[in-house]
Amino acid sequence: MSGHSVAEKDSSIVALRDVHLTLDSAAGPVNILRGIDLDIRAGETVSMVGPSGAGKSTLMMVMAGLERPSSGSIRVAGEELTRLDEDRLALFRRDKVGIVFQAFHLVPTMTALENVAIPLEFAGRRDAFQRAEAELQAVGLGHRLHHYPGQLSGGEQQRVALARALVPEPALLLADEPTGNLDGATGKQIIELMFALSADRGATLVLITHDMSLAQRCARQIHVDDGRVDEVAPVRQPEALTP
Amino acid sequence: MSRYPSLATSLRLARRELRGGLKGFRIFLACLALGVAAIAGVQSLAGAILDSLEGQGQAILGGDLSLRLLYEQVSPEQRAYLTRTATGLTYFTEMRAMARNLDGEQSLLVEYKAVDDAYPLYGAMELEPAMALETALAREGERWGAVVENTVLERLGLGIGDELLIGDLGYEIRAVIEREPDRVGGGGNFGLGPRVMADLDSLPDTGLMQAGSMIYHHYRLALPPGTDLDVYRADLSAAFPRAGWRVRDYRDAAPRVERMITRLTLFLTLVGLTALLVGGVGVSNAVKAFLDGKLRTIAMLKCVGAPNRTVFQIYLAQLLVLAAGGIAIGLVIGAATPWLVGGLLARLLPFEIDASLQPGPLLMAAVFGLLTTLSFTIWPLARVHDVPAAGLFRDLLASHHRWPRWPYVLATAGSAGLLALIAVGTAERPLFAIWFVVGSLLAMALFRLAASVVMRLSARLRRPRHPGLRLAVANLHRPGTLTPNVVLSLGLGLTVLVAIALIEGNMSRQVQEGVPEEAPAFFFLDIQRDQAEPLQRLVAELEGAGELKQVPYMRGRIQAVQGIPAEQALLLPDDEWMIRGDRGFSYSVEPPEEVEIVSGAWWPEDYAGPPLISVHRDFAEAFGADVGDTVTFSVLGREMDAEIANVRYLDWGSMQMNFLVMFSPEPLRNAPHTFLATLTADSAHETAIQQAITREFPGITVVRIRDALDAVNDILRKIGVAVRAIAAITLIAGTLVLAGAIAAGHRRRVYDSVILKVLGATRRDVLKAFMFEYGLLGLITALIAAAVGTATAWSVLTWVMEADWVFLPMSVLATVLLCTAITMGLGFVGTWRALGQKAAPLLRNE
Repeated sequence: MSGHSVAEKDSSIVALRDVHLTLDSAAGPVNILRGIDLDIRAGETVSMVGPSGAGKSTLMMVMAGLERPSSGSIRVAGEELTRLDEDRLALFRRDKVGIVFQAFHLVPTMTALENVAIPLEFAGRRDAFQRAEAELQAVGLGHRLHHYPGQLSGGEQQRVALARALVPEPALLLADEPTGNLDGATGKQIIELMFALSADRGATLVLITHDMSLAQRCARQIHVDDGRVDEVAPVRQPEALTP
Repeated sequence: MSRYPSLATSLRLARRELRGGLKGFRIFLACLALGVAAIAGVQSLAGAILDSLEGQGQAILGGDLSLRLLYEQVSPEQRAYLTRTATGLTYFTEMRAMARNLDGEQSLLVEYKAVDDAYPLYGAMELEPAMALETALAREGERWGAVVENTVLERLGLGIGDELLIGDLGYEIRAVIEREPDRVGGGGNFGLGPRVMADLDSLPDTGLMQAGSMIYHHYRLALPPGTDLDVYRADLSAAFPRAGWRVRDYRDAAPRVERMITRLTLFLTLVGLTALLVGGVGVSNAVKAFLDGKLRTIAMLKCVGAPNRTVFQIYLAQLLVLAAGGIAIGLVIGAATPWLVGGLLARLLPFEIDASLQPGPLLMAAVFGLLTTLSFTIWPLARVHDVPAAGLFRDLLASHHRWPRWPYVLATAGSAGLLALIAVGTAERPLFAIWFVVGSLLAMALFRLAASVVMRLSARLRRPRHPGLRLAVANLHRPGTLTPNVVLSLGLGLTVLVAIALIEGNMSRQVQEGVPEEAPAFFFLDIQRDQAEPLQRLVAELEGAGELKQVPYMRGRIQAVQGIPAEQALLLPDDEWMIRGDRGFSYSVEPPEEVEIVSGAWWPEDYAGPPLISVHRDFAEAFGADVGDTVTFSVLGREMDAEIANVRYLDWGSMQMNFLVMFSPEPLRNAPHTFLATLTADSAHETAIQQAITREFPGITVVRIRDALDAVNDILRKIGVAVRAIAAITLIAGTLVLAGAIAAGHRRRVYDSVILKVLGATRRDVLKAFMFEYGLLGLITALIAAAVGTATAWSVLTWVMEADWVFLPMSVLATVLLCTAITMGLGFVGTWRALGQKAAPLLRNE
């Protein structure tokens, strides 16, 4: 069911060149990102670790086209993001990027099925609901289709969020501390599912975590500190991609 | 990359989001419903009244066609024509007269109508006790019968069966008039007194038919079914081109009532629109609060690929659905108004109101509601554009209040502009509506500015020592303060109230107190030439009677100015009264006392050349006429040209005899006419003087200034009730906005009160601190509203009404107190709820 070719897997899906981000604050300009160069190949699993306030989330936002850099180039899935306007960036996310948040961020007034269908509906897909249902089946929530977020447990909500992120078959799956709001056992289930499904779809997975064991499951580990990136060599072949 | 999401997708998502329910939208709905109900109600009621006027046009006019002549009847030839072409014809006369009781102790100015046997052609007279009109008016033995309105019995202390004197004739009162079908359209030309109706054949015996007496001769025609009224009127005019009659048909049965209703409707609609605008502030607040709760969802939608346009559509669609609900509630109330209020009005209006659904007015109110919603929704909704999707990562989604992007600004300006355009375009007097729109915008800008000034000043103020007062002052400018809301919404409503209270107060004061010291106590009308001398002698003998001034008086119409028909020659629409119907004219050898000649000169005492006229400055301005211009008149059935010799000025409020046009003595001196007189008198002797004159000269109409002023005041009071009721709706809208703002600040108040309690403040201390805040806010708002309202009233009185202005502190003080009380009252309720919260759970959460 992979939506991406082998050739694509070998090329860089994310290419950041000398990315700087400086924000103004009352105390003067603050350098959030200081000249980041980063390449991520298609199909890779990459973890980002580092202390709070180091710039991990900002870096992820830059990849998602949610934050504009002060300077530098960002190329994701063949698009130069710095050249896209806000609405083009939204369409880019819709088609190319899936995001999983720590706090799930489901729409409380919509059922699980409707929440998952949203990106497909935005893309004008006629089969939005069939595909959303299939995705919920895939995350093990086939029996919870018509439940509202308030009627689901934390783990179930995060599985809905995962299904929503994966349903448009994104080239890039971004996860910001996806288990941060879950207990250990539930978090583990979610991680298993996320690795399995992203591998199944051939999506590139980039996740932010403070959990070192989780970080080590990824093919690459990137250490972010004070707006800079230190590459940490892959410890081993990523599990999820091992046949 | 594929296309943008469709509108259908946005609407589908909006529908799902609406499952969140109406929480937080009660004020939104109430504000819209109230404003729309006010406009729809006023318009529907006016529509129903005007429809009734049209539907009952024949009964209200008393025929399909009406002919009215002053002083004279139709010629036998004309009568023959009318009889031949009409299927029904009735003839009656109408005049002012003094009605007296038998001993002559009490007298009353009445509208006396003498009808023939065919009356009424349409509709029916309702009498109490019920009987046929013919029977009630018939001569039984030596006595004629009459029917009267109840006021006649009350004022003269008479009852059914008693005798009533009109002129020289005694009538037996047989019944009370419950309803006279053509009271509005058929007669009522004087509007000064109650009705007395008698048989036409009894009229000669009253002795009131004197040459020059102001008697209106009315003819009502029933025409064959299918008659084209325009053709009939054209034929009539062709057959008798020089006839002095005034022709009207049932399509325009009661133009004066129609005009009054239309004007009052315009005014009340604009006040209703103010209520809607004030409510708009509540709508805007509700949208802001709603979006504050939706920031995460908005950011999430953007994260999964929704362009700004789509997110905007999703939320605009939701708000429009809710607005449609509010507007629908308002429309239901408005649509029901003719049924709800029609019954109450039936007692005030002399015709039945047929309550009916008024689609036009409802549509207009709905459009006003929709455009107000858009005007006040797009601006705050523009924030969705600036909600950063990235905020979800930082868990930081604070509201950013910045100037919206230009498409939203344009859309807001567009809907507000359209609203203004429709308000002006549908107004009967567009200029008035333009002033209203400009005034509203200025007032809103002014109040917003005032709020900023208050916030800045309070920020700079030295901190008071009293902790409660310190908190109150700090709360005036803290983030999320109530100040802009309260000042704008409550301020606008109060301004309307202050302005209306002051205008109404000034008008009734002018009616009551504006009467100059030397003002006459009486006006005498219909004095025959041979009565002028005897009247002078009688007055000289009466105790308490002062100076009697008599002037010649006749009625006529202004036909043309410089050869241009008067309707076209008139420059100022406000002066239409000058050419509407007959006006009173006089002639004089010398200029009247106290008159100021503005230009030209008065004619020599022995002038006997072609007619010259002296015109009032208002006339000159209305027609752009000046000395040397020619004016054509129709006087006593004859057309005559006169040249303007001078323009003069005399204040209409001086209570001196004042005429729009005064002629040189020739040739009117020899034409049949009556005299008009004024008499000053000690107030203690007024009643005795009236009795003596009415007894001696039953044909002379006596108008007591005091009674006339009371009648005017009564009308002012009735209109004032309607105006104040609608203005109160503006205040209610303001109160709703305030209540909404206070409710929105509930969490802040709970937090403040918990912290204060933790620091050792008693409930009383906390309550006091909040009351300081609300009291201060209410007082500041009231003071600003008092100032703006006073300035508005002053402008309207000075410039629009050109009247004197007196500041009425009590009206303003009452408003200031009302505002402070409302703010403190609502604040108290909100604070009381906040005080009930337990501290511990909140602190644990924090």
